[in-house]
Order: sequence, then C-alpha cells, then structure tokens
Amino acid sequence: MTTSALDVKAPEQAPPPAPAPGRRRRFAVHFAHYKWLYLLLLPGVIYFAVFRYAPMYGVSIAFKDYVPFLGVNASPWVGFQHFQDFFSNPDFGRLLGNTLILAFLNLGIAFPLTIVLALLLNEVRLSILKRTVQTLVYIPHFLSWTIVASLSFLLFALDFGPLFLFLNSALGTNIDFLSDPNWFRPLIVLQEIWKNTGWGTIIFLAALATVDQDQYEAAIIDGAGRFRRVWHITLPGIRSTIIVMLILAIGQMLNTGFEQIYLMTNALNRSVADVFDTYVYFVGITQGAYSYSTAVGLFKSLVGIVLIFGTNWLAKRFNQSGLF
Amino acid sequence: MMIPRNLSLAAAVVTAAALALTACSGGEAPAADSSKISIMAPFLEAQPPAADGAVQQKLEELTGKDVSITWTPNASYEDKMNITLASSEIPQVMVVQSKSPGFVKNAEAGAFWDLTDKLADYPNLKTTFPDVQNNASVNGKVYGVFRARNPIRAAVMFRQDWLDKLGLAAPETTEDLYKVAKAFTEQDPDGNGQNDTWGITIPKWGALGSNSPYDIIEEWYGAGNRWTEKDGKLIPSFDTEEFLEANRFVKKMVDEKLINPDFATFDGTKWNEPFFNGKGGIIVDVDSRVSVLINLFKQANPNDFQNKVGFVGNLKGPDGELHAHPTDGYSGFLAVPKTSVRTEAELKNVLEFLNTMNGKEVATLLNNGIEGVNFTVEDGKAATIKPETAESKAVSTDIKSYAQLGTNVTGNNFYPVKQASDYEQEVFDKRVEVMAADLKSAVYNPAAAFVSPTYVAKGAQLDNIVADARIKYLAGQIDEQGLKDAIKLWKTSGGDKVQEEINKLWQDSK
Repeated sequence: MTTSALDVKAPEQAPPPAPAPGRRRRFAVHFAHYKWLYLLLLPGVIYFAVFRYAPMYGVSIAFKDYVPFLGVNASPWVGFQHFQDFFSNPDFGRLLGNTLILAFLNLGIAFPLTIVLALLLNEVRLSILKRTVQTLVYIPHFLSWTIVASLSFLLFALDFGPLFLFLNSALGTNIDFLSDPNWFRPLIVLQEIWKNTGWGTIIFLAALATVDQDQYEAAIIDGAGRFRRVWHITLPGIRSTIIVMLILAIGQMLNTGFEQIYLMTNALNRSVADVFDTYVYFVGITQGAYSYSTAVGLFKSLVGIVLIFGTNWLAKRFNQSGLF
Repeated sequence: MMIPRNLSLAAAVVTAAALALTACSGGEAPAADSSKISIMAPFLEAQPPAADGAVQQKLEELTGKDVSITWTPNASYEDKMNITLASSEIPQVMVVQSKSPGFVKNAEAGAFWDLTDKLADYPNLKTTFPDVQNNASVNGKVYGVFRARNPIRAAVMFRQDWLDKLGLAAPETTEDLYKVAKAFTEQDPDGNGQNDTWGITIPKWGALGSNSPYDIIEEWYGAGNRWTEKDGKLIPSFDTEEFLEANRFVKKMVDEKLINPDFATFDGTKWNEPFFNGKGGIIVDVDSRVSVLINLFKQANPNDFQNKVGFVGNLKGPDGELHAHPTDGYSGFLAVPKTSVRTEAELKNVLEFLNTMNGKEVATLLNNGIEGVNFTVEDGKAATIKPETAESKAVSTDIKSYAQLGTNVTGNNFYPVKQASDYEQEVFDKRVEVMAADLKSAVYNPAAAFVSPTYVAKGAQLDNIVADARIKYLAGQIDEQGLKDAIKLWKTSGGDKVQEEINKLWQDSK
C-alpha cells in the first residue's frame, strides 16, 4: 500500500473511517490513520522544544543575580531588580529612542521600497530584463554586514573615499559621514536598502503573479492607464500579503540588526547608535552582566510581542485578514 | 507524485534522531586525571599553533603532562572567556586578561581558587615583584599567577629621516612633541612639494586606562594614572585640571591638523601604515613597536632601513617634570577555576604544572623556542638560526602564541633575543636603557589593586561616558563645558559611589 501525495497535501479529503464512539477512541483511530504524518511532524516539534522552548528556562536569570559559577538554580532571586535598574538608568531613554527611531525609519522607508520595487519589476514586460534585474538587486542580500560595512568605510573614508569626495563637493561641505552623528541613521537606512530591498521583493513578486489577469484586461478596455491599474488592481490584489509582511516586520522591528550597527558605531556617533541589541552585547557578553542584559533582552521581546498582537488586532479591526 | 512510504518514514526517523543527538551532546566534564592539563589562552597571530606542532610536543615532554590548549582569538577573548565560564566545559587553567567586571563577579562568588597563601610554596611562582602581584589581585586576594610585563613601555616613535631632513632634535617635552608634529605637517618632511603629511597618528582606541596615546599624554601632563591622590583622597585622573590641560593640548593639535583627521575611526591594526608610507611621522605607543617598524623598513629595503625610525621614552610635561606612564606591571593572569579543579590535591597538581611552566627549561621553550631548531645561544642571547627552514619558522611563529602562557613572575627565565643586525641590537639596547631610566619617574595607579562593587556593576558603562566625551571634545562635537558636564554625569550616575568605595579600600589597605 502506498500513500499518495494528495493525502499529505489535503488530508481532509480522506476522512478517517467510521467514527467510533468516545473521544479517546476517535482520536486513536484518527491517530492510527495519520500516524506517518504525525511522525513527520515530530522533528519539527522536537526542534522547537529543544532549541526554542528549553532555552526559555534560562530567561529566569533575568530575575536572579546570576553568577555562572553558581549556576542558574543556585543563583539568588532578586525579583524585578534588574528591570528597575534598567528603567531608572540614564541609558534607557536613549536606547529606547535610538531603537525606535531606527526601527521606524527601516519600517517607513525600507519596507515600502520593497513593494515599490516589486511593482516596478512587475511592470517590466521583457522577461529576460526582468529576471536579470531581479537577480542583480537581490545579490547584495548574500553579502555579510562585515562586507557592507567595509564597503561603506572605503566609499566614505575621510579625504579619499569617492562618495566622501563627491558628496562634499556637491554639498559644498566637509562632512565626515562615518563619524557625524547626524549621518548615522541615513547611512544605516541606506545600507539596509542596498542590502535587503531586492531580497524583500521576492514574496511580493510571487503575490503579484497571483493577481487575476482578466481584471487588467477589463480595466484596459475601460480605459485605465498604468498607474490606475496598479492602484486599483495590483495593490488591492496583494493587500493581504502586504499586511502579513507588515505584521511580521513589526514583530522583528526591535531587532535592529546587531552586526550592522555594531560595525558602524564609533565614539563620535555612539549617542545615536546605541540600541538594545548592541547594549545587550556590550553589557552582557563583554562585561559578564548576564542577568541585567537578559532583563534588557526580555523587555525587548515583550515590546515585540505587544507590537505583533497590536498590529494584528488593528489589521482585523480594519477588516483585513490578520496573521492569526 | 508518489512517495514510497518507507522512504518518508526513514527521512522522518533520521531527522528526529539527528536532532536528538545534537541536543544531547555536551555532557559532563571528564573526571580529574592528573596527567592531563587543559588550558584556555588567547593567540595574537593570524593562526593558532597546530595541536601537534613541535612546540606542543616539546611542552608535553618537558612537563610530563598531556596538555590541551584551547586557543582563542585575542580580539574576542573576553567574550569567549565569559561564555566559557557559563558553560560546562571549563579548562583547568584560564588566561584572564584583565580584572573585568565579569571576572571579578565570578571570583568573588568563589569560581576561582584563592591562591594568596599558596603561591609561596612554589619556587618559580613565588614572585619577586610583590607589588605587581598586589596590583593583579582583587582587593588583596590573589586569584591567579600574573603575567609579568615591563612596567615602562611608553615611547614616542618618529621618522628619524624626516627629523634629520628638517634639522630638528628628538623631542624631550610635550612642547617639543607639538613642534615636531607641526614641522612634520607643514614643512614638507618627505620633500615631495605637497602638503600631504600629518604629525601624529592616533587610532580609535578611546577606552579609559587602555594605555592609549591619550592616557599617556594625560599622564605626562601630570593627570595621574587612572586614579591620583589629591588632598589625601583618591580621585579619578580625569577629574583633574591636568586632564583638561592635556586634552586642550591634544585638541590644539587636532585643530591644526597635526593629527590624522580620522583618529576617531582609524583602525588600530593599520597603525604602522601611515608611518611606513610617509603619511604620518609620529606614533605614541609601547616601545616594542620600534622593532616592528624597523622590520617594515627592512623588508621593503634591506640595504637602507637604518635611521628611518627614531624613538625616545616618556616626555616631560609643561611643569618640567617627567611623569612616566607605566602599566600595572602585568598583563592578566592564569587563574584556576574551581569547577574543573575540585580538590586541593588537584589544585596542587595544577600549581606544580604552572611551577614547571615558569622554570628555566619551559620558559625558554615558550619564549625562545627549541634550541638547535630555531635558535642557538650566542653570548647568553638567543640568536635566530639562519637561513630559516619551514620547521624553524613554524616554531618561531608558534612561540608568539605560547609566550602568552609565560608568567615570568620571578623575572625572565629565558634568553634575551639577539637582534638580527648590529644596528637593531644597538636600538634594542637603547630601548632597554631608556625604559630603565624612565622607570625612576613612573607614576603608578594607586588604586590598581582595588575593585569597588559599584564599579563591577556599572563601571565600564560609566567610563564610557567620559571616554566618548573625550573623543567628542577633541573632534569638536562638544566644547570644554561639555567635557566637564560628562565628568559630572560620571559622578552623578554612580561615579561618586565608586570613588567613595575606592577610597575606603585604599584607607583600609594602609
């Protein structure tokens, strides 16, 4: 006997044999019928249990004065001490501000750009050109932040970087883009756009492919121009994808990209560069203050959860399909 | 599409098994075996030594132990050390590079053996520098065998050929330094007719007490060494008028473009390049950089490398006095974690091993290499065997990492290195002489031995306030009032408490 692939895809099409009385009995029959599917589920469940849920035990050190030598269990409980320290710390306001500003800049600029780029690519009718451009714009995604940072250092290097020379002669100024705090955020957003915009278009391009072609033909007959077609057909067609991606992006919002920011930070721009991620590294790993930095990280995660649920709730309120 | 049932089953089982296996590795630390020693140490070269290299084999032969060393890149050593301490695989001997907050916290919770009363029993570990051992302690408790360093290492290195060309004398005071830097910037010392040179090159090191050029210049100005005594109290050196004066002096040089304009972002690993390429003519750093620089010129042109690099030691400050900048005399220590060394008997075994490591035979191996392979002894000095073979080269490279395990707490038990040419020997001898002369004027950190609890909790963040403000002030982002405000912020954010605790420890120790 073989199981067809159809069963795997749509199990509801093959209901279990005659339901027997009693819940437990029903489940046993159900289980016996789908046992191979449950087995396939197992690796995923084990993965999440071991690598995602088991480590959560370690989160308890946010409420303890953790000393590695004593171990997690033996370290004394201190309640919300670390959270209090963090919220009353002069760094707190600065960190929260920097993190949120960078997050909203990325969300407000980089995220819409991926949609715009996808729409533009979608309008390219010459398929070889479309595919070539698409490939070229997502190649930067595969470069590490270290390389992106090195490139930035070369391009903006004081006195000899080509972009440094060009921009300063164009603006008639003498700005050191790498250390001027005013230029830190633009630089970070530009890097993010350069590296990830092309990659972000992939899902939107897939969504665009599902938009009903008949509607375009109808619109053309009604005399709609390109822009009208994009506005009234394409965008509504991928609206649910945009909402889902937006909710996911907001969940990731506070993950401002440790590597990128860490590499671009220096003594002169630190006031705008310090974010939760770099702070957790600096305090937690380099100074060994595990409990304190776990508290900071936990706070960040809580804010992330609130943001996800909040956006999801908002999306549903406006009659959109949410993520869950 | 049909999938044979057995195949999908097999795939599921294999995936699950693989996950279960990765999840279960790790496990318990091996039981104590007195013939085995595990060590964690940093390496500063591009590659760590090979586990089966000649030095490793010789080390095991001389100590009679099966030595396994976990080499970790120097740049991320502190992080790795903190992570290792939190893991279950802890080595028996750990190189600890500084009394970082993480280390102190663990030590005070009892993670390391207190060796205060134990080292005296071992002839090669009973130090001849008790002051340095005290500096390396945590409030008098010795948690490790310190790695001795020459306390005076600060030097001013300059392009001797530029100096000669402009007819200037080697600097003796900070004012001379300014004059030479100005001449190097404005008088076209390389003679190419272009205004393309600057005086001093400074890298982006800005942390307080990192022996950076800033720290050194501040000390020359009389600001003290991290802490300084004033009116019977210890105050941080940045809370002095001399600190502000020194930074005004550096700022003047920045403003007049006598310092590389990208000093806030300039990568420290490229420090030699502008010097060698004829861009910036002065470096203020440890004197061992003299031989590194000479070597660069020698490699570029073996026939004309003399008299390119000149150097002097510490400079006199504006008050006409010499306040030489010393380190604390050690560079971290070798500590013994209690988790991996559980009993006194095991500790004895480890300390005996460390005692052997600092004996003449092993110290020579760690610092000079293997006699007859990469060096021979000539007039009491270790001379590199020429021409180098692949084998001798490997040994010479490896010992740069193995030297990290040397403690030398009873003085150097190995041969001084014979320099490659008479000129280099002459320079080397002069270095020794200059550093010995400066030693008499060394101004030490009076609080080196003290660790305040508040500093452990938030000292590094506090210091960052002042360190960043210093760079901002020099770059012109804030004015002197802004720098003073940062120092005030340091005090009100917990610095006052640090100062109080340090003073109490200082009073108690008297």
